[in-house]
Amino acid sequence: MPRRLLGLLLVLPALAVIVLLFILPLVMSAVGAFEVEGAFGWGNFAKTFDLYTKDIVFSVVIIALSTGLIGIASIAIGGYLTLGEHPVAVAILRFLYRWPMFIPFIVVGQILRTFLAKNGMMNNTFISFGLLTPIEAQSFLDWRGIVIAFVWKQTPFVALLVAGAMASVNRDTIEAARNLGASRLRVLIEILVPQVAMTLTVGLILSFVTMMSVLSVPLMINAQSPTMLTADIAFRVNSYGDYGVANALGLVSLVLASSVAWIYLRASLKERA
Amino acid sequence: MERGGFLELRGVASRYGSTQVLADIDLSISKGEFVALLGSSGCGKTTLLRLLAGFISPSAGEVRVGHRDVTHLPPDKRGMALVFQSYALWPHMTAAQNIGYGLKLKGVSRTEIATRVAAMQSLLGLDGLEARKPSALSGGQRQRVALGRALAVDPEILLLDEPLSNLDARIRLTVRHELRALQKRLGITAIHVTHDREEAMVMADRIVILNAGKIAQQGTPEEVYNRPASAFVAAFMGAENVIHLDGVRDGGQFVIAEGAANAKASVPLLDRPLTSGPVEARFRPETARLLTEGEVAAVGSGITFRGEVAAVSYPGGHWRHMVRLGQTEIMADGTQAFEPGARVAVHVPAEALFLFNASANEPASTVSRTTPGKVYA
Repeated sequence: MPRRLLGLLLVLPALAVIVLLFILPLVMSAVGAFEVEGAFGWGNFAKTFDLYTKDIVFSVVIIALSTGLIGIASIAIGGYLTLGEHPVAVAILRFLYRWPMFIPFIVVGQILRTFLAKNGMMNNTFISFGLLTPIEAQSFLDWRGIVIAFVWKQTPFVALLVAGAMASVNRDTIEAARNLGASRLRVLIEILVPQVAMTLTVGLILSFVTMMSVLSVPLMINAQSPTMLTADIAFRVNSYGDYGVANALGLVSLVLASSVAWIYLRASLKERA
Repeated sequence: MERGGFLELRGVASRYGSTQVLADIDLSISKGEFVALLGSSGCGKTTLLRLLAGFISPSAGEVRVGHRDVTHLPPDKRGMALVFQSYALWPHMTAAQNIGYGLKLKGVSRTEIATRVAAMQSLLGLDGLEARKPSALSGGQRQRVALGRALAVDPEILLLDEPLSNLDARIRLTVRHELRALQKRLGITAIHVTHDREEAMVMADRIVILNAGKIAQQGTPEEVYNRPASAFVAAFMGAENVIHLDGVRDGGQFVIAEGAANAKASVPLLDRPLTSGPVEARFRPETARLLTEGEVAAVGSGITFRGEVAAVSYPGGHWRHMVRLGQTEIMADGTQAFEPGARVAVHVPAEALFLFNASANEPASTVSRTTPGKVYA
């Protein structure tokens, strides 16, 4: 059937790219995770959980915390853009909130390094205002720095999605609630957020998966133990050439990311039912 | 108009940017009255309703409810509940949650909410639907949930923004009567915005006709229908035939001079503030009588036009004729059909002929369906 063949031919380049650059490497590294000195086994995983259990927990906690904060911040931003009654403040916020989205993670890492360090800009400002003495100043370049970097970088993205969804919510549903006596906060929590819940979830899941894969931020801000899984993978490969354990760590990340995606799929199925 | 009504608007005006949407709105509504705000789209009727609800502030004037100035109060402090054209039901809540939300906001206890919601459901015939989300309800059911949500908080004033326009024609007719009966039973003051003349006529105690942000006329349905105060109101209430004539005041009569298509006639002046000179005459197609030219002598007081049937159609119940009078065309209904080309006389009884001095005719041209090139007397 020449028509069918032609169709296949047209799809082939795209298919080849996906198979060669995405599926094949994924399968190879998944297989590699079970390969110990030429034989298959659980060795890499034993080593992974032996050495890095703490880091796995650390990564999950940091990213979950960041995701939660991103959610709250983007609801606040989207909510103010939709319900704010001060047109100038709304315009300023609308202009400002997107900027961090265009700054790469590595630059975010660099900016926050100079900002959050013990003698960084933040502490210097506090000290010059007399809010802090130089002795009390402490470095934020640890887990807190990672959370701040993630929230700072990812909030605009989720806020963009959420604000867009909120803008397309039928304004009458907001006014109906105001008419019956709901405060703006209640409108936000009880009327607006439930109507954009799906978009919010999608944004947060995409953020979660993005944060799972960021290497530069933990390397630049948190050069200590425990650290994020990405830093561990880089370390296994660069310092030991140990692709086996690196692959196993990668597979653990994949499982974590997929579990979140699974929550999303279940929710979207339930919504359609 | 009575002084000191329950809901009072004094000199209310509203602007949107540089556009004056409403101007000089003075309105007094008594407790328990059903008032229809009637007007074509863009006349400011929805703006007036939103202004009453407190979603927009007037640029001038004041709004009072029971002698309390509510002009700048937030929407929830006014004792008014609004039913939206789109219903604006919250899609993530069930019918019962939608109805009970206003009570929840007021801090009413859970059991009390359940009782009141159940009572509201049986009042509106929504029993058994409490667990359904709005997406699983029909248009009529959604409309009733929206109404229930507004009524559950026991408002003093119910504001209705074209609540029937999304219903299909047959349901709309029954809902009209249901809504009116409910309003009477609850004794609630209702303000109903609509562009549907018949809906306003059937439901309201009083009709307020808005034109270009101003009140064109207010009165009972019978008053605005039979005694329109301006050419605009006459046209809006269905008197779309327009003819330009000349006349003189003569005691209690207004004497219309013989024109190209009409014989000399005289109609009682009644209370009309007509002055001698060119006038615009308006009448409804159904009030005209179509006669053969020979029958003219037999008819009573009124005016008779002579013309030629240009077209005829049957919209149901009667034959509708397009009659050419010189360069003007008018519509006239008859129980029997005249062939196109037939010479006919169109008789309009005095009480069905609305006369206005020609200077007052500007807004009317937007609604009248007369052909261009009409004769200006």
